[in-house]
Amino acid sequence: MKDFLELTVGALASGCIYGLAALSYLLITRPTGIINFAVGEWSMLGAFGGFLLLSRFNLPYPVGIALILLGMFLIGWLTERLTVRPLVERGAPPLAPILALLGMLVVFREVVSLVFGPDPQPVPPAFGFGRLELGPVAGSYQSFFIIAVTLTVFAAVWYFFERTLAGKSFEAVAIDRRAASLMGINLRRVTAFAFAASAVVAGLAGILVAPNVSAHYLMGLPLAIQGFTALVIGGVGRVEGALLGGVILAFVEQLTVRYLPIPPGLAMGVPLVLLILFLLLRPTGLLRAREARA
Amino acid sequence: MKQILGFMVTAVILSVIGFMLGSYQTDVYRKVLLWVTLALSYNFLFGIAGQVAFSHFTFYGIGAYAIVILIFQVGLPLPLAILATVAICVVLALVVAIPATRLDGFYLALATLAFAQLFIVVLDEGGTVTGSAGGLANYRLPDVFGMQVSGPWYTVVIVLLMLATLAILWRLDRSYFGRACRAVRDDSEAAQAMGVNVARTKIIAYTITSALAGIAGMVYAFVDNTVNPPIFGLSNSFLLLFMVIVGGSGRHAGAIVGAVLLYLMPLVLSPIIGHHHALVFGVFMVAVVLFQPKGVIGIWDWLQARIGSKA
Repeated sequence: MKDFLELTVGALASGCIYGLAALSYLLITRPTGIINFAVGEWSMLGAFGGFLLLSRFNLPYPVGIALILLGMFLIGWLTERLTVRPLVERGAPPLAPILALLGMLVVFREVVSLVFGPDPQPVPPAFGFGRLELGPVAGSYQSFFIIAVTLTVFAAVWYFFERTLAGKSFEAVAIDRRAASLMGINLRRVTAFAFAASAVVAGLAGILVAPNVSAHYLMGLPLAIQGFTALVIGGVGRVEGALLGGVILAFVEQLTVRYLPIPPGLAMGVPLVLLILFLLLRPTGLLRAREARA
Repeated sequence: MKQILGFMVTAVILSVIGFMLGSYQTDVYRKVLLWVTLALSYNFLFGIAGQVAFSHFTFYGIGAYAIVILIFQVGLPLPLAILATVAICVVLALVVAIPATRLDGFYLALATLAFAQLFIVVLDEGGTVTGSAGGLANYRLPDVFGMQVSGPWYTVVIVLLMLATLAILWRLDRSYFGRACRAVRDDSEAAQAMGVNVARTKIIAYTITSALAGIAGMVYAFVDNTVNPPIFGLSNSFLLLFMVIVGGSGRHAGAIVGAVLLYLMPLVLSPIIGHHHALVFGVFMVAVVLFQPKGVIGIWDWLQARIGSKA
């Protein structure tokens, strides 16, 4: 039992990272139907922003984070502006923006590998490398920090979608693009904002996970795969689903590594099997999207 | 008749080229031919049948590993091993296709991506059967009737493989089945209403193209005489997709142009600009999607139309 509690905080923290990556997909997919494979690369950009501002220029943590998130907002907005909007306006097939974003994935990755080199770079955690013990539950400071930040982000996003008019306009676009646009919702603005917000969330996931894994130009792909596995488990329809999916995925990963009598390499296959099973048996995920309400 | 003649002349020309090359050039030439073979079958799956699957390169790997394991671990004679490998590829492709083609759009992409990753996990953990992370090496093609097929003669085998693949896909494309695939790609509900069996069309398209990839992999196994997990990783699946898009998806000529262009690009560029070639590749990719959605072959069409209208 003690063993299991030890594992809980760590697993929750990685689950939160997966949840953020899944949320980053969801913010774009939900209103536009575009799946952005470059989400992992956005996280990598966030992590390298952390290396640059926090490790090299030694900015205070809150200032550094704020600047990075602002930068991510611009990157997301520019990505939409330069690669997605021209295609949508030309009436290109739905696959075209996805392919353009796949090309952007290569561009982001190679720019970073050219600027920072192929070696992993350190990113500091928020409160140093200490360890916090709350009774039987224990974990690193960073784990608790990750969990707290993620819960705040999800609460804010949930509030935005459920309680604000701007958020409802997103949901309206998700339910019926044409009707939403006829009701006077600016589709362009919603799309641009979806990309910018998605980049901010992805960048945040990158900064948060970087102290554990270091900023590396190839760190995007594993995160991208874990993110969409979480998304598929939770369901693309609901914000809470992303977090739920992330946490389930992380616990399955950690529990199989710890308790299943199979070699650790094979345990890496378990999430993939989970992904395939969910796609085949329950493609809507655990939480279904709300029906349009009258 | 004219077409058969055309194929035979092409086969002779491509084979003769194979006899005139040095060892480095031979290696490049063989790989170009193999990439063209793969791009052709992937073009049918992605461009003509409209299935965004990332499993194509995985079947290439399955073919390569299967033949090596069957000959050198199981000890089958070569002809039997070839038959068994083809059978394995077809059966595996069917097993994946039946559930996977029920998924549409990017869910299929995700499922096949997971399948591709799973294949790498299995290779890494396969112990002595797959050689784990190091893969299998130090084997060579067994003799056939006391003869060793090697050097330029093996290049001829690859030329024939490429042309056979092209011929099969060409015939398929021009048949009822090819038109059904295009109809399902463009509008599956309309295709259904016109009497096309959508599910069966998707499954057959996936199975045939994946099996063709597996056969190409079987031939590849004796090009480098080594198979290991990194070769069959995800990056090559993406490269294959890029090849078809850059060349012009849905067109055989597009697949050929795209494969040759993208395979040779790093070889030409890296001596000049070093690792920057990967960045050039990414920018090129985005530019093609944005400005030339019909691919490089679209430029050729445009040129032809221009010249045609002037004459």
